[in-house]
Amino acid sequence: MALLLQILVNGVLLGGLYALMALGLALVWGVLNIVNLAHGAFIMLGAYVSFYLFTLLQVDPFAALPLCMLSLFCFGYLLQRHVLNLIVRAPMFNTLLLTFGLDVVLMYLAQIVFSADFRVVNPSYAGANFSVAGATIPLVRAVAFAVALTLTLAVWLVLVHTRLGRAVRACAQNLVAARLYGVEPRTVYALTFGLGAALAGAAGDLYGVVSQISPYIGDALTAKSFAISIIGGLENPLGVVIGGLFLGILESLTSLYVGPTYTDVASFGVLVLVLILRPKGLLGRAA
Amino acid sequence: MTRRLLWFAPLVALAALATVPWLASPALIQFGITTLLLATLAQAWNIIGGFAGYASFGNSVFYGLGGYGTAIAMVQLHLPFGVGLALGAALAVVFALLLGLPVLRLRGHYFAIATLALAEAMTGIVANLDIAGRNIGLVLPLLKGDALFYELSLGLLALVTLTVFWISRSRFGFGLIAIREDEDAAAVMGVNTTLYKAAAFTLAGFFSALAGGIHTYWITFLDPISAFDITLNVMMIIMAIFGGAGSIFGPLIGALLLASISEVLSTEVTNLASLFFGLVIVVAVIFMPRGLADVMRRFKRLGWRYFSQNVRENRL
Amino acid sequence: MTPILQVSHMTKRFEGLVAVDDVSFELAEGEILGLIGPNGAGKTTTVSLISGTVEPSAGKILFQGAPIAHLPAFRRSRLGIGRTFQLMKPFPGLNVLDNVAVGALFGTGGGQRRLGRAREDAANWLDFVGLDHRALQRADELNGPDRKRLELAKALAMKPRLLLLDEVMAGLNHAEIEEVVTIIRKVRGRGIAIVLIEHVMKAIQSLSDRLLVLHHGQKIAEGPPDEVLSDAQVVEAYLGRRRT
Repeated sequence: MALLLQILVNGVLLGGLYALMALGLALVWGVLNIVNLAHGAFIMLGAYVSFYLFTLLQVDPFAALPLCMLSLFCFGYLLQRHVLNLIVRAPMFNTLLLTFGLDVVLMYLAQIVFSADFRVVNPSYAGANFSVAGATIPLVRAVAFAVALTLTLAVWLVLVHTRLGRAVRACAQNLVAARLYGVEPRTVYALTFGLGAALAGAAGDLYGVVSQISPYIGDALTAKSFAISIIGGLENPLGVVIGGLFLGILESLTSLYVGPTYTDVASFGVLVLVLILRPKGLLGRAA
Repeated sequence: MTRRLLWFAPLVALAALATVPWLASPALIQFGITTLLLATLAQAWNIIGGFAGYASFGNSVFYGLGGYGTAIAMVQLHLPFGVGLALGAALAVVFALLLGLPVLRLRGHYFAIATLALAEAMTGIVANLDIAGRNIGLVLPLLKGDALFYELSLGLLALVTLTVFWISRSRFGFGLIAIREDEDAAAVMGVNTTLYKAAAFTLAGFFSALAGGIHTYWITFLDPISAFDITLNVMMIIMAIFGGAGSIFGPLIGALLLASISEVLSTEVTNLASLFFGLVIVVAVIFMPRGLADVMRRFKRLGWRYFSQNVRENRL
Repeated sequence: MTPILQVSHMTKRFEGLVAVDDVSFELAEGEILGLIGPNGAGKTTTVSLISGTVEPSAGKILFQGAPIAHLPAFRRSRLGIGRTFQLMKPFPGLNVLDNVAVGALFGTGGGQRRLGRAREDAANWLDFVGLDHRALQRADELNGPDRKRLELAKALAMKPRLLLLDEVMAGLNHAEIEEVVTIIRKVRGRGIAIVLIEHVMKAIQSLSDRLLVLHHGQKIAEGPPDEVLSDAQVVEAYLGRRRT
């Protein structure tokens, strides 16, 4: 029983991080209708930014969050404004292909620049943990969870309650009308995509603290982000929280009851199942 | 007179290519085998992605299943290569039907994502199977003589191209094209879309599996990562699209061109080649999304403006 | 003689909206039934229910005496039901001839087996609708009226026994409407039954043997055109809102 509780706690902590991971993807997908297959690569880059800030400048990974987010934001903004913008009105398949290509480029560039070695970010308090109701909670994971949830809620608030958020959603609904209201779509698209990248960067930063970094982590994370976005449904930004928690707990349970090497199989298996049975996600209406 | 020439040209090319093992250096023969197999993958993708319009991002599954079928048959069951190939192909066909049918009900990018997820999942599943050698993989018996593998690969490419040729002139092919252009209209006009999509997917899987089997026996080794290599998907798709998806020779030209350039550019094997392919995709999707065939057709009229026009049409 | 089409208590509900509500009617072979009603009355949905694009929530549909309500769309085409779409759906990348050839390849009874024969048939149908001069043009390069003709040719190439026409005259000028009316008469002359959705009153009045009026998904009138068009309920629901 205590073991089950521990597994569930692990799953929830992981789930919070997963939710943040998926948020960037879901945002860009749901609002801009851009399916970014390079999303995992952005997460990977965020992890490396935090790693080098930590290793070279001794910047604490949590303190490095704003820097990670800012650098990835700029990267995403420029990428959208000058590259992705060029195919926004093309068929969806072109976007898939383009981001697929970007994913490959980023992955192999990372391999060349950062080398294929596994990296870890190990702050001094890495091993610290505390107990709640008999379950051990690593400090790092708890903080990561808190940060992840906070960011997710913050983004949701911005989208729903601010002018920028309204502008973004207006563009998503109707480009022509948005223009008439003085919204410049290209800027809004770039800002939104940049925000998505910034969120990926934050997720990468946190990821580096709880797991190993390598140039190859991107693909699996992209697939998981998809799983989460689809499970949670794209209609509600908070759907990623549901999806993230679901996947986190699923992976934890799978790891215990089936085997640690089956976690990916479980995630992707669930993704395929959800796609087939309820493409609009658990929160959305059935197709 | 020119029509007869058009018929002869591919046959002459085929005959010429068949003589390569006796004329070329070992390195060139090896390049030839790799390129021929990649071209087969691109051509197989062409059936489901180019003709039917269902862009699968997971055909590497079939390639891997072909490889593992062959490897398991030869290493664990001590069966001859031919049987191994057949087993690999059978695995791919079963997979295509079992999982293809539900997944093919998805449209557009949902289908792409689902196939990508399947590809990722397969790597994980196979890595847990003892009969497949788990993470370590399997080592196959060595068969010396690249010439044999070359001719096998060439034969396979000819077979899949012939299939595509037949598709392009058949009722089946027209059905696929109709599905690609407008699936609802196709259904209303009498096309059994479910059957046709499944058939296209299965055909693509069949040929991809054979390519995987040949490749595996040739390099005598496979493990989950290399067998279900995700970057293979990148390569086969970009080769088909670059050359012209939905055409007969487009994927071949795309494969030949891109493989050659990649070979010339790279001194390493996978890294730079993959980087190169990634860049090609990005550039090609932006400037020539309809492939080389379309470039050649319209370049005459528009010149370099062809490329800027593509951008102007699609940018925000 | 069995009516070619029998629809009884056909209903379609979408997420809280009843698009078609308990509609029943029959159609005899070679008959033209005009389907009219204000926008959103459920006319296109009715046609989609018959062609199989959409499945009914309740009710029965009999085609040539056999139940088809749960058959997939392509099977109904094989049985002999053809339709055109209001928002036209040409196959954009194909030329006009090949667009029609698809219909010839997959129509009633499974269509032609060989591409060559299908293309021949297609050429004949293009001639029938007056589009033969555009046979080799790309379908997405056609203008509005020609697209309508292409829709028609595609459906006809399937050699249907029942043809469902959804606003084939929308956006056409006077002369073009006359041409389409002539074509439809020719089609009926071949014994094909037709369900016709139109807003062009004169045309539908002169073509139809009977009219059926839908309003909010329900049938509110059915009968000979003159009778129906002078029915007070119909006038109020439909004509009363428009200034012709």
